[in-house]
Amino acid sequence: MATLTRQDINFGQVVADILCEFLEVAIHLILYVREVYPSGIFQKRKKYNVPVQMSCHPELNQYIQDTLHCIKPLIEKNDAEKVVVVIMDKEHHPVERFVFEMSQPPVLSISPDTLLSHVEQLLRAFILKISVCDAVLNNNPPGCSFTVLVHTREAATRNMEKVQVIKDFPWIVADEQEVHMKEPRLIPLKTMTSDIVKMQLYVEERAQKT
Amino acid sequence: MDELYLDNIDEYVNDHDKIVTYKWLSLTLGVHVNTAKQMLYHYLDHKRKESSAQLHATYLVSGKFVDKGQTSHLVSVVREDQLEDCKARMSLIVSVHVYSVQKALLRDSSPLYSVDYDAVRDHLQSCAKYSAIRCTSAVPLSSVELQQARERQPAPTPEPVVKVPSVNGEASHPSKPSTKSQKGIMGMFSNKAAPKHQDSVTEVKLEQKEVVKPEVEPPKSKAAAKVSPALNFFGNQKTKKPNKSDKADESLQSSSRLEQQQHQSSPPEKKPEAAAEESTKGSKKESRSKTKRTVDSDSEEEKMDKKKRRRIKKPEPDSSDEDIIPDSPQPMQTKEPEPEPSPPPPSPPQKEFESVSHSHSVPGGTKIRKRRRVLKPKTFVDDEGCIVTEKVYESESYSEAEDEAPVKQAPTKCSTAKLHAAGNNKEEEKKSQKKTSANTNKGTKQASIMGFFQKK
Repeated sequence: MATLTRQDINFGQVVADILCEFLEVAIHLILYVREVYPSGIFQKRKKYNVPVQMSCHPELNQYIQDTLHCIKPLIEKNDAEKVVVVIMDKEHHPVERFVFEMSQPPVLSISPDTLLSHVEQLLRAFILKISVCDAVLNNNPPGCSFTVLVHTREAATRNMEKVQVIKDFPWIVADEQEVHMKEPRLIPLKTMTSDIVKMQLYVEERAQKT
Repeated sequence: MDELYLDNIDEYVNDHDKIVTYKWLSLTLGVHVNTAKQMLYHYLDHKRKESSAQLHATYLVSGKFVDKGQTSHLVSVVREDQLEDCKARMSLIVSVHVYSVQKALLRDSSPLYSVDYDAVRDHLQSCAKYSAIRCTSAVPLSSVELQQARERQPAPTPEPVVKVPSVNGEASHPSKPSTKSQKGIMGMFSNKAAPKHQDSVTEVKLEQKEVVKPEVEPPKSKAAAKVSPALNFFGNQKTKKPNKSDKADESLQSSSRLEQQQHQSSPPEKKPEAAAEESTKGSKKESRSKTKRTVDSDSEEEKMDKKKRRRIKKPEPDSSDEDIIPDSPQPMQTKEPEPEPSPPPPSPPQKEFESVSHSHSVPGGTKIRKRRRVLKPKTFVDDEGCIVTEKVYESESYSEAEDEAPVKQAPTKCSTAKLHAAGNNKEEEKKSQKKTSANTNKGTKQASIMGFFQKK
């Protein structure tokens, strides 16, 4: 990004890239911390200059990448209101929901001189918060699985259904039972405000997990 | 000491859900690190007596550790439940203190590093102000000296690479972080430790360290150098994606490794590390021997079409190799239970092992195995009732232990037979060659100058 002029950089794309990278790391970390998958498949990698746990399983990684690849256009256009990582128990009832609420300022104005190191610091804080979130959460029952939901503004998903961004990776409207959780407890984790995005992370937890 | 700090720490731990490390506390409150450690200890004590909210703590233990007759200085950060274990393993405990206090039970040590990272970053110029480590000659370089140092830097880098070629890539798979950080710690005090230190690569890396980690004494750790091949094992096996061969990144990595401060190295964790390290050595030898192709004078007879590579394992001078063989299956087993995860790491070692067995060599062994295609006469009665002798290529494998030549594919059998065999390479090989040649018809030997005289 050294000598690009203002016209060259598509700010929306830049922001979407940053957020999708962050979401990928966050999802991997959530899977590690909440023990959705055995910790043996995770290995330490570096992101934002700190160690993070990422999975090595190729299919899992591919799934997460495809998911985020489809979400990216929504983020670019600021259509994605919330990205939710839902952890479900064996009967596919949600047990925990990690909600990333994000909103971008209507007019993105990043000068080429903007250093995103502040953003990096804020994202680092998010990562740290996820690592210690099990202080405030109860343990999950064994045999959990996860899924990613996107809440969009208006009817942006109609396009998604019509046009498959990735072949054989369809998005469907979520079931009622996946979206709603019985007796949720809200635990806020972190908020950040920056020039490019405002993001909030909170966890909704079911009161009785087993 | 006023009791206000207890409330402060309480606020950080319980209300903000922070991980309070002693370093972070010292930078935040502006106190010396030793004071911070005492504060944490008192706080923990206080809370435990009240038996209120559940708190977890990590401790830093440092002391002398005897490993197979070699003494080393071990510094490790352990969880509370592993503390007694760790203390028992050490022969002499130099220091134990609280490293951090937090509400959550930490699964791994990455958050500890993250906590300190931002705190140190904010106080970069003064991060050593409250530190317990002092060196009067350690002053920042002036810009002129900095320039000179930069010019000088490219020269020393080739040297360490030559010296220790096995510790090549930076293994950013700190699944073995404690060992890596030990290596890093040693490098940090490279001036003192250089004569003792086997691994000089880290010296160069850590010259570029940004953050000084206090509380580290110069350990002499042969175990660390031994383990560095383990890191390389993972560095080689995985595709180069997270690995950065750039030196600057490596230094940052090693500094980050240092920041992680060894980890919660409990005995079970050390064991798979040791096993992995040893299997690394085994696989290292495979790769080395694969590249060596020895040409024997007898190979004239064995230059067949599909000749498999011959392996000659030189007896390694390092006595620790003996341990490598029995332990090498272990990391394979630990990897197998994972539900088809991380295919790269298991499959290359498996491939290596398979190809090893194919070529019939035992890792670390000093035997020769050969598989060759031999022209053998096959005598049979054909349709017309005539006895026909045909020369047919058969692949046979044999070792110095076996008298019977044609063993088409029984690698396991061969290897067990080989394990029983003792003795030196060349002579046995010649003997077995002679035996097998006795079995086959002499007239079918080809490409030998003596064959001319031996016919009929």
